[in-house]
Amino acid sequence: MKRSPFQMAQDRRLRLISLRLLLLVIVLVIWQIGSLGAPPFILPSPARTGSAWADLVVTSGFWADFGITFYRIVVGFALAALVGAAMGLVLGASRTLGEFFEPVLVVVNTVSSSIWAIFALIWFGLSNWSTIFVVFMTAMPLILTNVWQGTRTVNREFVELAQTFRMSKPKVLWKIYLPTILPLFFAGARLAFGFGARVSIVAETLGASSGIGYRLRQAADLVQTDQVFAWTLTLVALMIALEAIVLKPLERHLFSWRERPSA
Amino acid sequence: MSVVRLEGVGKSFLRRDGEQLEVLRNINLEVSERSIVALVGASGCGKSTLLNIIAGLAEPDQGAVYLNDMRSSAFKDWRSMTYMFQEDRLFPWRTTAQNVAFGLEAAGVARGERRERVMKVLELVGLDTFADSFPHELSGGMRSRAALARSLVTEPTILLMDEPFSKLDPSIRASMHDEVLRIAALKQMAVIFVTHDVEEAVVLANKIVVLHPRPGRVRETREVALPYPRNPLSPEVAEEVRLLRLSL
Repeated sequence: MKRSPFQMAQDRRLRLISLRLLLLVIVLVIWQIGSLGAPPFILPSPARTGSAWADLVVTSGFWADFGITFYRIVVGFALAALVGAAMGLVLGASRTLGEFFEPVLVVVNTVSSSIWAIFALIWFGLSNWSTIFVVFMTAMPLILTNVWQGTRTVNREFVELAQTFRMSKPKVLWKIYLPTILPLFFAGARLAFGFGARVSIVAETLGASSGIGYRLRQAADLVQTDQVFAWTLTLVALMIALEAIVLKPLERHLFSWRERPSA
Repeated sequence: MSVVRLEGVGKSFLRRDGEQLEVLRNINLEVSERSIVALVGASGCGKSTLLNIIAGLAEPDQGAVYLNDMRSSAFKDWRSMTYMFQEDRLFPWRTTAQNVAFGLEAAGVARGERRERVMKVLELVGLDTFADSFPHELSGGMRSRAALARSLVTEPTILLMDEPFSKLDPSIRASMHDEVLRIAALKQMAVIFVTHDVEEAVVLANKIVVLHPRPGRVRETREVALPYPRNPLSPEVAEEVRLLRLSL
């Protein structure tokens, strides 16, 4: 019997899900075996980590720390997206400005996030702004570079077509530049968000008195290794959830014109 | 009244090595209402530059351009003229209907009216069932129809075309020719088009301007009085093609 396309798509889904589950089981088994030969403060078993996580989630402090870290990442990223996109457009629109500021971008890109974290601590002390600053300095150049590159890929022929219709400059920016840049902006923003989320933890271990990074360092200082593992799992879960719930559907919606199969 | 009139138009470009390159010299041209004019010539005779000057995308160095008997510098009604390029220039992120609506968006036409006019023009070119398809889902001929629809939806009185069908298969090109003739008669448009295809010029135009290159200048203006539709295989058309080839 021939299977319908719908059934075939479902088969593919099932296959993918079982592969993922298999991988998860293998990792858990290796983890379990490894934990048998090591004391819990070196490598806690999956069960111990699980119960530590279960205990953690019910504390009121968990959601406060989770929320404050998430807030810092989002604010830093939003500022980076705003400033990066605007400056990328300006640098792309003016050749002179682009050539003038290019070295600044190179320098900003070579400074490590840990150094930004130290500067942040000096300038902002133990506050939200330390972490936000580090996320911003990491994410902003990535977005700026991508948008800047994007302005160079704008098709001159499309702009000329708009001229024959006597379309106004703002409309040309909105209807031709924006759709051309959007895929590159999105790729840059996604990368920047991932980097930003990771460096936010570094920043919090150095310059914060709350948040996931602060709790991680605290747990490490007290040799509560199971807590360290639990917080790490929380972070991983957060990033996967954001990818699956926000980024993937948004991308599918924005770029649906590419994904459709040809008739 | 003439729709387009050129008087002694000349144009030079500054080349990269600093030398002046004369592209057009003393071009005189008159296009009357509802006529179809072909600009024919070898490459390098400034055909496209001439079309750009008429479209107001380039300024002539000498001479004057009149549109509807008005100096083009004083001409305001630019949206009564549309330009169809050699490439279809469809936006890959827009559906056929959205691509066609582009010129109406430039003119600030309201959404509801836009929809109505787009659907009407898509029916006219036979693409109404592909309104929601993206360009990569269309065949070459359909993309060309979509580009034509985009040029027609603003209801122009002058349609400029720069070798618009040169990339199409011969059979599809022939059906696009029929389409252009039918719509030009229906909408009472004047059409000015550039081509290097002599047969295309004879099949479509009632006036053919032969240009000679370096610098581009008018060699000859021929009137083609044959009735439409013109069959490219008929002896009269073949004879016209032969005569035109001789003057090239």
